Amino acid sequence: MFKHIKETICAEFDAIFSDGGALLLVVFATMIYTVIYSMAYGSEVVRDIPIVVVDEDRTSASRRLISGVDNGPDTWVAYETNSMAEARELFYGGDVFAIFNIPSGYEADILADRQANVALVLDGSHLLLYSHVLQQAMSDVITSGADVEAGRIVAKGGSDVVAQSVVEPVQMNVEMLFNPYMGYGAFVMPSILVVIIQQTMVIGIAMVALYVARQRRGRGGRWPVATVLSKILVYISIYAFILLFIFGVVWPLFDLPYFGNTLDVVLLLLIYMIATSSLGLTLSHLFKRREAPIMLLLWASIPILLLAGVSYPREAFPEWLYAIGRIFPSSSAVDAFIQINSMGASLSDVAPEIFTLIMLALLYLTSAIICENRLGDMKKIV
Amino acid sequence: MLRREVKSIFEDRLYLASTVVLPLIMLLFFVVIFWDGSITKLPVSVVDNDNTVLSRNLVSMVDATPGVDIGRRDLSVDEANSELLRGETYGYIVIPDGFEDDIVGSRQTSVNVYISATNLSAAGVLRRDIQQAVKTFSSGVAMTRLAAIGVDGYQVMAEVMPINMQTHTLANPYMNYGYYLAPIFMIVGVVVFTVLATIYAIGRELRYATAPEWMAAAYDSLPVALIGKLLPITIAMMIMMQLVMFIMFVVMGMECVGSYAVILLASLLFIVAYQAIAVVIVAVTANLRLALSLGGGYSVMAFTFSGITFPIMAMYEVAQLFSRLFPLTYFSLIFINEAMLGADTRYSFADIGALLIFIPLVLFVWRRLGRVVRNSKYWGKD
Repeated sequence: MFKHIKETICAEFDAIFSDGGALLLVVFATMIYTVIYSMAYGSEVVRDIPIVVVDEDRTSASRRLISGVDNGPDTWVAYETNSMAEARELFYGGDVFAIFNIPSGYEADILADRQANVALVLDGSHLLLYSHVLQQAMSDVITSGADVEAGRIVAKGGSDVVAQSVVEPVQMNVEMLFNPYMGYGAFVMPSILVVIIQQTMVIGIAMVALYVARQRRGRGGRWPVATVLSKILVYISIYAFILLFIFGVVWPLFDLPYFGNTLDVVLLLLIYMIATSSLGLTLSHLFKRREAPIMLLLWASIPILLLAGVSYPREAFPEWLYAIGRIFPSSSAVDAFIQINSMGASLSDVAPEIFTLIMLALLYLTSAIICENRLGDMKKIV
Repeated sequence: MLRREVKSIFEDRLYLASTVVLPLIMLLFFVVIFWDGSITKLPVSVVDNDNTVLSRNLVSMVDATPGVDIGRRDLSVDEANSELLRGETYGYIVIPDGFEDDIVGSRQTSVNVYISATNLSAAGVLRRDIQQAVKTFSSGVAMTRLAAIGVDGYQVMAEVMPINMQTHTLANPYMNYGYYLAPIFMIVGVVVFTVLATIYAIGRELRYATAPEWMAAAYDSLPVALIGKLLPITIAMMIMMQLVMFIMFVVMGMECVGSYAVILLASLLFIVAYQAIAVVIVAVTANLRLALSLGGGYSVMAFTFSGITFPIMAMYEVAQLFSRLFPLTYFSLIFINEAMLGADTRYSFADIGALLIFIPLVLFVWRRLGRVVRNSKYWGKD
């Protein structure tokens, strides 16, 4: 049996390293993807979004408001003009993301104790930019407004203390935990990594398995448990090196979050990889052509990422769809990995996810062994 | 030629799956997941150290916003924090002891809000909604105080909100996440299938050494052979693109404010541009599986670089240049211009031009493609 294990392991390594397509998928894809995606999200924080200001008032009050908008971290007054037509041209041409309009009479209204008006024209097709610009403009307007208000109360004989209590009776302090600057990479990279591991592993294993099966035609089916376990060992050892590169080089290079206990992270990823590689070994029995796995499984990467509740929180889609999503190891692993790695939670905090992962690992391990055992009479689909 | 191609689409399960069956399943998936389109009822807990009428009042105002669903209100900070770490909530609100006393005593008070920024889509909605509720509550307090010092009703608004900002959101005015995310997800899916199906259509003739029959059916003319190959896929994917538009504009009720004709023309150029790239990949590699791996990787990557989820302007220079290499980047600009912003068509000209540049790329590999389909040494690679 040890001879069989040794043969299985050698055959698997041989199949991976002798074939360009398999090598690309199993060894390089995870590394390339992680590096390229981190590069895209590299600067992470969205700052200084260009906007155009149309100042029709041209008074010291309007100047003050504009310099507030310009100095705010999220917005940057890239253009100033006094015609709305020109501003619209810049907006539709994609040079600016918003138009901030101060109509004439702004200062006069303020001085006369009337409510002054300003307008913001925004592009809602891009929600991330939208919320940054809106947040920034609102806080600038509120700050300017508060100054005006305090001035009025003091002018009416109120004390500074009274002025302050009327301006903002209830102050709200918001703290963004675990990702204080709301970095985009810190938000999506952990989930993307988890999904990439599953997708490359499943597709890669299926592609390689067909090659190996052909090499030893008719000699399969012996010691199925040993065969499946030694294959899993091969993939976990390859991915251990890949993950070493990712956490050792990519993560520090792009300053991605790493607050977890290393042992907890290792344990989680180990269970996860046993589940995903078993899933890959099970699915590999459905295919008879080596190009089939990539053609049939690649597209699912994006729906799988969505089902993990990343770009779109789970509260936004139907409960039953969320439940179906749990059959993919990635769904529970994304949750657990974010909690441990990005939030510093302990293993006991993610007990339900770990439990689901162990159940999935056992399920797919069993199915992989059953398929391996019945190798000869498996009916293949494509 | 065309008859042979259509026949093989229906005879080859893999071909049929990637041109018809899987794209339809994928579109159905996205319809279901984005059906609602709004991010609502995100679980948040409360640490109410005051537990008075006013503090409970504030909590119910927060609970009444669409984005927030207040769960437990009787937790300690530690308990709220561990709920967060277990992934049961997205954040918690801490109301200090003496909250009501401060308000009654005309002193300034504050609430602290902690939001997990590991999921930015959820965090953005929560911050916006909680801020809105606290601001409304705070303004109510200010109005009562102003009335107490004798400011009359008409004046109150001018005092509480000295500057009023009107926001006009062009494109997606109701901040529907479905309108924002669904088109890009579905279009990326169509891209993946376009690239894989095109590579497969040509690659299978090499892989199974049927290139001579293919060329014979095309009277040994490479242009005829290529057009006959690509056209059925172009038609299939154009139908998928129209389905995407049907889903957006009819099923999900998004209003197309611009010209549908421009979207139609742009989607044709867009599909053909991706087919051209697929032809280049398969001609250069002359290896079906390697081409599928490369093409698959390239088409999925476009999602990140399209700038929809993370703005291109916030990326590093290198990544900004890299984003120019994907037809999707241009198509999404055209789509936003035409479907969502309703900008004049002239703003789309440059992007339509960019799509046109991808198509002649085929000419660079023309001679190699001729060799590959005629010389048997390139065939039969598994």
